[in-house]
Amino acid sequence: MTTNAQAPLLSRLFGRRHSRTSPLALLVRNRLAAAGLVVLCLVVFIALITPWLPLPDPNATQPSDRLIPPFTTGHWLGTDQLGRDILSRLLWGTRVSLVVGIAATLVAALIGSTIGIVAGYFGKRVDSTLMRGIDMMMAFPYILLALAIVAVLGPGLLNALYAIAIVNIPFFARNVRGVTVTLRNREFVDAALLSGKNHFLILVTEILPNVLPVIVITMSTTVGWMILETAGLSFLGLGAQPPQADLGSMLGEGRRLISTAPFVSTVPGVMIFILVMSINLLGDGIRDALDPRLKAGALRRPAARTRTSVEARQASQYEQRGVLDVRALRTEFHLDNQVHRAVNGPTFSIEAGECLGIIGESGSGKSVTAMSLLGLVASPPGMIMGGQVNYRDTNLLGISDNDLRRYRGGELAYIFQDPLSTLHPLFTVGDQLVEAMRSHYAISYTDAWKKAVTLLEEVRIPNAANRAHSYPHQLSGGMRQRVSIAMALANEPKLIIADEPTTALDVTVQAQILALLNRLRDDKGASLMFITHDFGVVRQVCHRVAVMYAGEIVEIGPVEEILAQPAHPYTRRLISCVPDVERKTGKLEEIPGLPPQVNNLPEGCKFADRCDMVADQCRQAPIELKTMNERHQARCIFAKEVV
Amino acid sequence: MATPLWRYVGKRLLLLIPVLFGLSLIVFFIMALIPGDPAQAILGSYATPENVARLNAQLGLDKSLPQQYLTWLGNIFQGDFGRSYNQNREVISIIAERFGATLILAGTALVLCSIFGLLAGIISASRQYGLVDKAITLIVLIGISMPAFWLGLLMIMLFAVEWRLLPASGMFSIYGGGDLPDLIRHLILPAGTLAFIATGVIARLTRASMLEVLRQDFIRTARAKGVNERRVIYRHAFKAALVSIVPVIGIQAGFVLGGAVYIETVFQWPGMGSMLVNAISTRDLLLVQGGVLVIAAAYVLINLAADVVQFILDPRVTA
Amino acid sequence: MKRIVNPIAAVAFATTSTFAIAQTPPNVLVVGQIAEPQSLDPHAVTAVNDFRILVNLYDGLVRYADGTLEVEPSLAESWDISDDGTVYKFQLRDDVEFHDGTPFDAEAVVFNFERMLDEDHPYYDTGPFPLAFYFSQIDTVEATAEHEVTFTLNEPFAPFLSNLAYPTGLLISPQAVREHGENIGRHPVGTGAYQFEEWESNSRVVLTRNNDYWDGAPDLEAVVFRPITDANTRVAEMRSGGIDMMVEVPPDNVSMFKEDPMFQVYEQAGPHVWFVILNMRNELLQDKRVRQALNYAVDKEALVNDVLQGTATVADSPIAPAFNWAYNDELDGYPYNPDRARELLEEAGAVGEELTFYVTEGGSGMLDPINMGTAIQANLESVGLDISIETYEWNTFLGRVNAGLEGEADMAEMAWMTNDPDTLPFLALRSDAMPDEGGFNSGYYSNADVDKLLEQARTSTSQEERARLYKEAQAIIVEDAPWIFVANWQQNAVATDRVENFHLQPSFLLQLRDVRKP
Repeated sequence: MTTNAQAPLLSRLFGRRHSRTSPLALLVRNRLAAAGLVVLCLVVFIALITPWLPLPDPNATQPSDRLIPPFTTGHWLGTDQLGRDILSRLLWGTRVSLVVGIAATLVAALIGSTIGIVAGYFGKRVDSTLMRGIDMMMAFPYILLALAIVAVLGPGLLNALYAIAIVNIPFFARNVRGVTVTLRNREFVDAALLSGKNHFLILVTEILPNVLPVIVITMSTTVGWMILETAGLSFLGLGAQPPQADLGSMLGEGRRLISTAPFVSTVPGVMIFILVMSINLLGDGIRDALDPRLKAGALRRPAARTRTSVEARQASQYEQRGVLDVRALRTEFHLDNQVHRAVNGPTFSIEAGECLGIIGESGSGKSVTAMSLLGLVASPPGMIMGGQVNYRDTNLLGISDNDLRRYRGGELAYIFQDPLSTLHPLFTVGDQLVEAMRSHYAISYTDAWKKAVTLLEEVRIPNAANRAHSYPHQLSGGMRQRVSIAMALANEPKLIIADEPTTALDVTVQAQILALLNRLRDDKGASLMFITHDFGVVRQVCHRVAVMYAGEIVEIGPVEEILAQPAHPYTRRLISCVPDVERKTGKLEEIPGLPPQVNNLPEGCKFADRCDMVADQCRQAPIELKTMNERHQARCIFAKEVV
Repeated sequence: MATPLWRYVGKRLLLLIPVLFGLSLIVFFIMALIPGDPAQAILGSYATPENVARLNAQLGLDKSLPQQYLTWLGNIFQGDFGRSYNQNREVISIIAERFGATLILAGTALVLCSIFGLLAGIISASRQYGLVDKAITLIVLIGISMPAFWLGLLMIMLFAVEWRLLPASGMFSIYGGGDLPDLIRHLILPAGTLAFIATGVIARLTRASMLEVLRQDFIRTARAKGVNERRVIYRHAFKAALVSIVPVIGIQAGFVLGGAVYIETVFQWPGMGSMLVNAISTRDLLLVQGGVLVIAAAYVLINLAADVVQFILDPRVTA
Repeated sequence: MKRIVNPIAAVAFATTSTFAIAQTPPNVLVVGQIAEPQSLDPHAVTAVNDFRILVNLYDGLVRYADGTLEVEPSLAESWDISDDGTVYKFQLRDDVEFHDGTPFDAEAVVFNFERMLDEDHPYYDTGPFPLAFYFSQIDTVEATAEHEVTFTLNEPFAPFLSNLAYPTGLLISPQAVREHGENIGRHPVGTGAYQFEEWESNSRVVLTRNNDYWDGAPDLEAVVFRPITDANTRVAEMRSGGIDMMVEVPPDNVSMFKEDPMFQVYEQAGPHVWFVILNMRNELLQDKRVRQALNYAVDKEALVNDVLQGTATVADSPIAPAFNWAYNDELDGYPYNPDRARELLEEAGAVGEELTFYVTEGGSGMLDPINMGTAIQANLESVGLDISIETYEWNTFLGRVNAGLEGEADMAEMAWMTNDPDTLPFLALRSDAMPDEGGFNSGYYSNADVDKLLEQARTSTSQEERARLYKEAQAIIVEDAPWIFVANWQQNAVATDRVENFHLQPSFLLQLRDVRKP
């Protein structure tokens, strides 16, 4: 489940160029963590300056002044059972507890991480031996283990520290081993081995830096726990030696007075609570800030529907053309105070029974365009800023959630790129098909299952009745994509939006799927919006094609016409990328350079930097779509001349 | 599918043997290192070296340690766990009495903390950064930031002494109890306390797993199919998240069994934890030995159960 | 989700209906004990906690008369002691049966003592019997008639009767021992006022009224002993009505219970001494002035009144005042006098010296050892010594202290509860009682005069003579100051106002025969 399928869209969009917020900034932005940091700093600060504060001797007993209640002059937090000043003992005790907690964490981290790294790196017998040992430690009730260790070593703060550290070794060992195992198989380790580095050097120079974040995260989440456990040992009488104060022993001594003088235990109890709470809050923050999964943005849950601006939610103002009519759609991603304009106003429509191809490189905004139609762009960070998506004379961007849900998978169905990650791994394909139907129609499970089997037969899945009981991972890529298609067909859609449905498949399977889609579209009379980066595919299935670049349509028109006479330089480049069976040379041309960053789009033609025909006027102002003929437009000032 | 599961369970059960064997060695080793001996504990103030030596001879503790271990090991294979030095009873019958109580306490706590942890995590994740999420995050953090024993004492003070709502300690009423409602009344405070401090880990993990799962492509697929949002969260996302949560619940069982030591002491629950603390301090080697092995076996079995659940949940896991 | 939630709702519903806490029923006394008993075999146990149950289940040949430490007849109606003090002839009651219906007779008595003392006895292996040495002076025990038992001692031994009255001298049914073997500790059968009903581990031991008790059946129908190890929980149970009586009330809760009219606090001084052993093999502590200085430096009044909240009185001798006939009340002891202590230390050149102090975390009769140790440490530091505390859990502590302090520590806390004035000084202050000789003289005190006095007192059969000898010995010991004498515990108990006719015994035993709870 830990497969890191974090919106592939986002990483493709922003990739490596996405500027990362520093961990510290992330930490400060998390308000709870920041509060924890402030409280912890305060506690640490007070603990540090305690020796210079005008406090009574924490160990000076005065039995006649015992159990003075708090808020008495001279003893602001009262006195304990021997008449010692609680405030003074509290501050000195906090120092001790902090040091013990941190030291125990360091010891546990050092030993545990070493075991973890060694086990993970050397694997095989070393690994299984070490991890069996760790298993044993985990099976041993931890408090009893700590108790037994202290019983062996004798009581005392230092021994309690060792006991706590030993008991917590497994946490570090397990976490670190897990990361090390994945690192071990990475190429840089092999490279280092080949270059003649010995194991020790590799461990220290290659592995350690990479597991360090995990160690830090584990440490930050265990310090608080360590302080609690030290307190627990002191509670059982095995910690600090009298008269020395630490929070646990204060609590342990005070608990006997809990019914007569509750403040004696409440004060250290609250202090432990504040200390551990602030550490835990901070620890959470540190984890969030260092977690690699968060690099692409906050670990945020996408809403059921893309956030949509008021402007985009306006009722339809146009007379609708075709089945689906998209006007000036604008979708943006708001990340780290930057605006990434992914979709910049494409306008197009799809006729009944027509197949419209949308083509472009990675990051051209074609997928985001497709997702925006039914509000499936992850949000946050996505937001639809403007435009309209008209279907049945209503703007889909403005309808209620429930109405939208009814269209989704009903009249408007999606097929996604990688069916392994887009099908739910834990349900059978039959079950997933049934669900698709039952989300839209009141139909019994058995009937739906029968229909599901029929659908699977329809998409040419052999032995469909059995296959329906399979889980996605038990099917081949082609079969899975057929299942996706069957799912899209389940509720007799008017329009199927297929987002690179064949990209993940090999060439022969790809051909079969395309043929299948073509046939089904003909049979069912549905429209198809087909997103791809491959003109070869477009040629096989599409009637018209829209070429997208940097979120804009740069050329749109009938497939035959565009293939024969591409009007935009980018289109020409794309076409020449297609391996041509007829052309014997078969040399593929790559397009030099990279698409512009969508958080910093140029004013003029967005393709200018990569265009071999670029002229000064290209960069001066936004380029309008020029009409070649009634059905063919292109966004290039040289377009007419080309034709 | 049935065959590999059973083979897997069998394999795991076999693996249990070396773990238990290793543990028994560790226990023997540690207990041998602890100064003092059972005779000392039995004799108390009268433990002169002379008396101690005489009693040790009676208890068979004058033999060498490896010899004692081998004797014990030999007896184990005949189902004989030996006698507690201190209580002069069969270890097995002491454990039989205690283990049920611990199982009830720790089991209830584990179930409670799983339910609350999962619910809190799901709600937290589906209302991420909302007020409810923040409130849950805070409450859950309070749980893991409090010393268990202190919380337990506060509970007794409030519910038993101040309000007299629930009994302060024990497992059954001394008079006129002994039925299920009576047990439940006694169980509420200790199990609740233990569950409260154990909920945090599960809630936090559930929240994180849910957030991660909710960003997966198959969730988008579910939404694209027109599945309603409740179902997306409780069926699609939760089931997927559960796969990574279940093993942690297994590990959490270790925490709950450990935490039960404090809770049993504070609430006077007649379980294994308080017995073992006492057995360690009285150097009751065979009792410690038997008790630790039973708890460790329980822990390993709970984790095995967690793995089996995961196996059933996730068809991709191969045994 | 629904299916999971439902049982919880059911549980909540079920519990609300029975929320009210039931009070303990009339004529049943629920006693909060400090721990689970180890066994109910009187010869196998050592803890006062277990004795509290045993004395209600069993009788011995003799017992302590109510409110004293004087011996009076019990199952033995009368006895004769030979002039040389080595032959004891007991006439037994002939109207007593064990709870299992078997008759109590001379053979039963013989069985009891031989089981404990004779390694060849067929039931010797139902032991071990750790306190058998209480009777190690017994040479033979014979049934000289059906109801006459004759003990022959290998030397005169004055505390013999007193030891017979101690719980180790309680008598168990031979038939039950034969039947249950090594599990006899879970199936006790005696002759006492109550008989064994059930023992549910870590939950309760239930005794019910013995209607045929030879000394008059008790009023209570049943007594329930509940082990509650945590003192806070015990107090909480007392306050929430879960128990009727608790013993060893933490000092700080005593005043709380005293102020509450719902409860009655009972206090009784007993033969208990709390002291600090001084290691006389430490060069510094060999100097009597230093030992006396330590005694002067400790503020015992503050310890008993503030730390122990008046649950103890100041001790000034190795013999507790509860042994009123043997206690020497003419000694002044060492009243708190830090100035005198400083003077003495300066004379001895001991100012600024470092000493190690063993402190235990708890333990039988140790009262509040950590707080007391800490307060003593603070006292000693204030007169110019440098004291470092090492705390040990009770069994470790005993192991270290009983093995002798030489080379380990300079001071150690200790407390004894005894049944005869002989016991403590004889076991812990004699030259022949060094740790390596099986004694408890962990501080290595040695004074030939004291040795002689103790030996004489132990073999004398005249109490007057013994009293004189003990008083003389006390004077010497107090002057020598081998210990810091600190406190004599006042044992305490709390009961609800429903409990009647209860009082504590100086023997620390919990006699419940006459208690009523209507």
